[in-house]
Amino acid sequence: MAWMSKNWTMTGIIMGLVVTLKHVLHIGDRPTVTVQYPYERMKLAPRFRGRHAVDEDACIGCGICEVNCPNSTIRIVKYKGRWFPELNLGMCMFCGLCVDACPMNAIKMTQDYELADYTRESVVYGPDRLLFKRGEKW
Amino acid sequence: MWTGDTMTNAYELIVNILTAIGVYDQIYNLFEIFGMAYVLKILIVSVLIAVLFAFVLVTVMFLTWMERKVVALVQVRYGPMVTGPRGLLQPVMDGIKLIGKEDIIPAKADRWIFTLAPFIVFVPALLIFIPIPFGNSLIISDLRVGLLYIIAISAVSPIAVLLAGWASNNKYSLLGAMRAVAQDISYTIPLALAAIAVVIFTGSLSTVDIVNAQGDYWFGIIPKWFIFLQPIGFVLFLIASIAELGRIPFDFQESESELVAGFFTEYSGMKFAMFFLAEYAHLFAVSGIVVTLFLGGWNGPVIPFIPVQITSLVYFLIKTYAVIFFTMWLRDTVPRMRIDQLLNIGWKIMVPLALLNLLVAGFLVTAGVI
Repeated sequence: MAWMSKNWTMTGIIMGLVVTLKHVLHIGDRPTVTVQYPYERMKLAPRFRGRHAVDEDACIGCGICEVNCPNSTIRIVKYKGRWFPELNLGMCMFCGLCVDACPMNAIKMTQDYELADYTRESVVYGPDRLLFKRGEKW
Repeated sequence: MWTGDTMTNAYELIVNILTAIGVYDQIYNLFEIFGMAYVLKILIVSVLIAVLFAFVLVTVMFLTWMERKVVALVQVRYGPMVTGPRGLLQPVMDGIKLIGKEDIIPAKADRWIFTLAPFIVFVPALLIFIPIPFGNSLIISDLRVGLLYIIAISAVSPIAVLLAGWASNNKYSLLGAMRAVAQDISYTIPLALAAIAVVIFTGSLSTVDIVNAQGDYWFGIIPKWFIFLQPIGFVLFLIASIAELGRIPFDFQESESELVAGFFTEYSGMKFAMFFLAEYAHLFAVSGIVVTLFLGGWNGPVIPFIPVQITSLVYFLIKTYAVIFFTMWLRDTVPRMRIDQLLNIGWKIMVPLALLNLLVAGFLVTAGVI
């Protein structure tokens, strides 16, 4: 007879209904927080870690980022006669250790986070897609 | 113009409108020449039924939109926003998607029953609307046993649910169907008893008589709705009808976390859409019946210069949507019960309370309250 000792005035349900009605009518501090993604974007934090970018003039191709990368994401390749990092973003976990390790502050992380792609090959970002010149927008 | 009190159904309303325009006699004579005046009546009633079904289906489609919007509002989201203004065309897109889907019949299923079951669910869900008065004289047929008809027709759907669950040859489907039938049977009794208490007041099973009995006012202010005479009956009827619909907190027939989707686990494409539409048609019908029985039907303050048919339709729809909103609101608020709690409440609480309510109704009628 446990069911008989329940609260038959159903105050719990009524209080819950009041709470949900407050949600429906936006009473109190209950703003709609949904971001309509393709049409509007969330404001990213300044230190957001997105896709990498490499300063073409500052990078010396030393390979310290390659050594520090825990996932072996980075590989130093030859590009335009110099050595630059190449990133396989399919393996990158965006920890930012390469940024911390760079002696020339050449590698940095951008706010670009829409990195989905169709093939495994196309998520390998070579220097042609990573490099930027100082002063220009990456 | 055509506000006579003699009209009892939509057919007579159409005839009166045509007569007022002045074309009815010509059309009638045209059919009379061939001795087929009855064909005209059949034609008009068929058109009315088509209009009713189209109206119901469109309403039901947009009830799915409303459901999603209400859920979204409760969960401080937007809900569908992309297709059309505020996502209003979402049900149309859903329909197109469902039509375009492959119609899969499981290899071990009973093909004939599997195909038949959605129709047996869908057709009674539409037929329930025949004796529901949408407004003053806006009713397809004022059956003298309207309420009995509604309860009898809605009792068909458990059979189809069991058919669907059995024919799917799937343990989840069968369990869901068993639960649905147990639930429907145990909650039809308090539902019918709560409705009978209203019938005791009116002395008639006709839905129009029930609505007309609620048209007066006490002290000129309080409307004589049966919710004020029968508050327990109203609550019982509402809970029982939500249980009959199988909505949260009584959605054991399709409890997603236990049975994948209940009796329509194996259904896809158009057959799934028919189950889905039937569910919302039942919701609309039940809300209409609650309004008819307890909330005064299409009664409301008379507005001059507007035909009473239009105002009454608006009042009926406002009340119906209020009830629908309440069920959606409740769905978003409370969690699912347990199946033993459901049956305990159904048999141990609601049936005795409904009988007690019947006794009170009898006393009230004997005392001459109404």
